Amino acid sequence: MRNQRSVKQEFLRKWITGLRRYSCDEKKNMSFLERKKAIKLSADIAMASTRDKTTRWSQALIANASSSGDTLTGSSKNNSSRSRKKMLMMRRRRPKVKSAKKEMSASCIAKRLAEKRTRKLKNLLPGGESIDEGCLVEETLDYIESLRAQIEVMRYLVTASQLIINPYP
Amino acid sequence: MLHCLNSNASGSEMTVLERQRATIKWQHNNSHHQGYSSSSSPSPSSSSSISLVQVQSSSPTCLAAGAWPKLDNNFLMGFTSSPSSGFPLPPPPPPTTSAASFDLNSAISRTSSCPLPSLAEGKETTTPNNKRKTDKFHNTKVVASDNDNKDKRVKVAAPNDSATVGKKGTQACGDNSNKDNSKVSEVQNQKPDYIHVRARRGQATDSHSLAERVRREKISERMKFLQDLVPGCNKITGKAGMLDEIINYVQSLQRQVEFLSMKLAAVNPRLDFNMDDLFTREVFPACAASFPAIEMSPNMANTASYLHFNSSQQIDAGINPQDISLRRTISAPVSAPETFLDSSCFTQTLPSSTWEGDFQNLYSVAFDQARAASFPSQLFTGLLEPSNLKMEMEMEM
Repeated sequence: MRNQRSVKQEFLRKWITGLRRYSCDEKKNMSFLERKKAIKLSADIAMASTRDKTTRWSQALIANASSSGDTLTGSSKNNSSRSRKKMLMMRRRRPKVKSAKKEMSASCIAKRLAEKRTRKLKNLLPGGESIDEGCLVEETLDYIESLRAQIEVMRYLVTASQLIINPYP
Repeated sequence: MLHCLNSNASGSEMTVLERQRATIKWQHNNSHHQGYSSSSSPSPSSSSSISLVQVQSSSPTCLAAGAWPKLDNNFLMGFTSSPSSGFPLPPPPPPTTSAASFDLNSAISRTSSCPLPSLAEGKETTTPNNKRKTDKFHNTKVVASDNDNKDKRVKVAAPNDSATVGKKGTQACGDNSNKDNSKVSEVQNQKPDYIHVRARRGQATDSHSLAERVRREKISERMKFLQDLVPGCNKITGKAGMLDEIINYVQSLQRQVEFLSMKLAAVNPRLDFNMDDLFTREVFPACAASFPAIEMSPNMANTASYLHFNSSQQIDAGINPQDISLRRTISAPVSAPETFLDSSCFTQTLPSSTWEGDFQNLYSVAFDQARAASFPSQLFTGLLEPSNLKMEMEMEM
């Protein structure tokens, strides 16, 4: 769909910028886990920002990352909270149909299974709890694509950094 | 079209019969233009029960003004609003409306003023051909029949714009529509007001179920995309099974991200991803296959010599003073210059990006958060320290 090449490049650029910025600020040595978390966080944010807030999961990701209550990101946070409220409102308008009778027909079982799984999928997606089912599949598609691109870029960086250390494999 | 009809009738009051005949003739002519041979079939052949499904794209107000008391509001709601040109004089067929709908428009315009009783009379006295036409006029739409289902579907779906009927209209239309001759095709109107869906054969024509069906079809369409994306989903057909696969895949992707970030953290003890250093190494042959997507920068020619390595050269020109200690000899020659990522492109393009300000703010917050977080697994850190130390020693050599 999108231009994979440009997406990966953009992601890489943003990610490196963020990390660079972070490494400039942070002078002391970080522990391993701190580093890992910083890397992952910056990667996630970079990935989400490549979507330019066009998808719900990217908005939710950024909102989660900036939800530490800092006033600097007030604008983005307000936007995300407003959109979140909208999503919640939408969700309330579609109440779940509770079946009173215990029909054990095949269709009911199938429906229940599918429901369970959609709920699980919603939990996996960032910001997916308040997503309309129709949009869920779209968002999942988008998320999978972005994850793939992110993984490829990260793998590339890993091999690059490893080769720096060990040029003779 | 109206003018020609007027001229036919010499301006005097036409009987219903004559009007019908004129409209049929007009239909006939028009359908030939548009390739709707089926629309002309009612006139020549009375055997087939073919009739057209047609769309109303007239303004609701005019219809309401006409003598159609049986139509309820839902029927009117199923219609889209007409183009801005006025209704009484139907415009020359705009590209959005099919011929069939247009001619029904005119039919309505002709018959809207005529009272129902006369129509009823006309019904009884006319020939079978015209009787069908009367029914059509009376019911304001005709339902496609079974015999040429496939052909109908093709023809109906062929024009760009809709040739669909309001769903409520099928209910309002007493005699014809309730037969099982309802057609299936989901055509989307060019105007995004309504999505017209036709009821499938033998299925409910309830608006709720129709809307649900539309929704379900949308979802299944997207699931097909997902099938292509997620590996190993081709054999699974059920929705629950597919969702299972998708969940597993997303989970595995997320785990991979975690693992890779861990690996990166382990490899880089100081979190300084130095672009100059990274891209001047001969990493490209190694990961050229995995990352062929990196574009060449415009000033590739200048840096080609800078980035190109011979077999036993040492890089000192481009190395950042910070990484002087990381000098290494390059063994393998670089293969494809296309995969080179120019480090200078990063410094060039970064200042011009527009997301800079907001993004950096975001980063500052995010990193504050990361720093503040406490990591309970000290044991884990302890295990990895020796390996980090080892790497650092190696790097200093």
